[in-house]
Amino acid sequence: MNVLRRPPGLSSFRFYSTQTTRPFVPPASLNHLELPQRQREKPRPASPSFYTARPDFYDQLTSLESALQHAKTALTTCHLLPLPQFARTALPPRVNAWVDKRELGLKLRSNLTTSRYRRVVLVLNELETYRAIAEKAGIMELQEGIRGITELFERADAATMLARGKSKPVKFDEYGRSYTLGKRKTSSARVWIVPAQRPPADPSTTALSTQATETDSALDALLNPHSSSKSNEHVSVAQILVNNTPLSTYFPIPADRTRVIHPLKLTGLLGAYNIFAIVRGGGTSGQSGAVAHGIAKGLAAHEPAVATILRKGKILRRDPRMVERKKPGLAKARKRYTWVKR
Amino acid sequence: MATKAGLRPWLSATRCLWKSRPSVLQHRRNVFTSSDEPFPLQSPDDWQLLQDRRIRFKMLVDLFSEHGSTVTRDNTFQPHHQLHRPLAPSEATLSALIAAGAHFGHAKALLNPNFMPYAYGVRAGITIIDLDSTLPLLRRAASVMRAVVERDGTVVFVGTRPDLRAVVRKAAERIGPQAFHVGERWLPGTLTNKLQLFGRDVAKEQRVTPDLVVFLNPMANAHAIRECAIQHIPTIGIVDSNVDPRVVMYPIPANDESPRTAELITGVLSIAGREGRVLRENKERSKELRQSRYKRGQERGSTR
Repeated sequence: MNVLRRPPGLSSFRFYSTQTTRPFVPPASLNHLELPQRQREKPRPASPSFYTARPDFYDQLTSLESALQHAKTALTTCHLLPLPQFARTALPPRVNAWVDKRELGLKLRSNLTTSRYRRVVLVLNELETYRAIAEKAGIMELQEGIRGITELFERADAATMLARGKSKPVKFDEYGRSYTLGKRKTSSARVWIVPAQRPPADPSTTALSTQATETDSALDALLNPHSSSKSNEHVSVAQILVNNTPLSTYFPIPADRTRVIHPLKLTGLLGAYNIFAIVRGGGTSGQSGAVAHGIAKGLAAHEPAVATILRKGKILRRDPRMVERKKPGLAKARKRYTWVKR
Repeated sequence: MATKAGLRPWLSATRCLWKSRPSVLQHRRNVFTSSDEPFPLQSPDDWQLLQDRRIRFKMLVDLFSEHGSTVTRDNTFQPHHQLHRPLAPSEATLSALIAAGAHFGHAKALLNPNFMPYAYGVRAGITIIDLDSTLPLLRRAASVMRAVVERDGTVVFVGTRPDLRAVVRKAAERIGPQAFHVGERWLPGTLTNKLQLFGRDVAKEQRVTPDLVVFLNPMANAHAIRECAIQHIPTIGIVDSNVDPRVVMYPIPANDESPRTAELITGVLSIAGREGRVLRENKERSKELRQSRYKRGQERGSTR
């Protein structure tokens, strides 16, 4: 064993591998000396992975791996592992939202490289899979035990992250009105939709003819406000107000009006709802498109069955087309200057 | 009269091979021969059904296991036994080493001339290691380990491959607080640059220099071996035929690429370390006992 660690007077020098200036003294010749056993009096390092120079990290990783092993053993005892392929596909696809590298480094009290971060995330993903299996099979104790470990490493905003891309459900207020937003180019529309109250039906006329006349009269009234029609005075028509003005006044161009009505026509709900919209920004076509988008979303909220029709008709999707910017060297976004041969 | 099908048409080959049409089975409650037939899993009850089927299948297997072969999981070799049930130094035999594939060296062209005394010969282009020399060297290394641990020394197991990670961890666990492991890359300067790597407080206050280092893949850890040599730390290592056995103090000529060999050798060394620890504890206990008896004797003597 090493007895003389450093020759006296040379303790401040750096020792390079090529120079070992320590003289070798056979330990047996020092037996008669009472040298202080300084080395023996010092305590040993506590962690078994001390010599990796990252004991905290490797100890934590080891404990995670042993937790994984325990979970695996428990599931094997419950005859849930190895899971057949058809059962694996029955599990919901997991999208995990673990903390990022920096945060995990803080939690594990060591600076993490990408490869070490990935190693931890691999173990956490497997733990999460076993938790999902335990949850599906109804083994609540095991599920809670694993959750206790995995929730320590989950992002604070995990719920929001996982809900990204999923649209929030449209809420109705106490009057049964839906409030939706529609956008197109630079216009944005706020649309309130409420079911129109139908007048009491005449027993003499048939239901079908009443519906047909109502729809026709509604369409007529909306598109041609100033034409006098006898049916207008008797049937209450579902109104569409845009910026507190009737649709026909606000959108003089027929194309814009048709665009606004399009979702109602597709779904056959023309006389069924009262619509109030506030639209700002853009020009006529942008504003009409925004109102149509808002109406489509509102209709999908009121009647979920029509959502498929609207999606097929491509009105439920916010039209991503925006005005393309002008580029240098071109007259407009795409228009080139006249080509000159010389 | 014999028919086309034969004398006994009800026993004809065609009739015997007719398979009964399988009934549409959804939830048959009797024993299943195949436990993994796919069926839709929607509710927790379906998962319960899957577990039930598995349990019934296992019951069937257990029932028939009682008859027939006496070979069971416990009395046959299982790969995990090597790691969790290691051999003692006295139990390590030539056949155990051969079974672990410890005699396979590297290609003949890569044979290190200093390894020649430990090579048995060449076969199929690879060097065969002489296990008659391996076994006593393994026992010698085990004695060194036992002695170091008995004298309160610290041991470090170094195995820097992914398959050696679990081996070194288990070995360190088995010996106890005196043993450490390095399953990842050995950071250069761990022994020669302690102040930088561990910090001033740790390097001054704790016992950082180990007393014995065991290398499971010395070829990849040349820097670590050099550091041990600089610090005058004795080393044990599994040397293969392409390695100069003089790099370590106590070489064990064996296959360094086989995880099974590594598990066997490390298991033997860890058992020896455990024995050393037990010896030390016994020595301390007997010393305490003697001291307490002496004190009591002194007190009795003083009172008289």
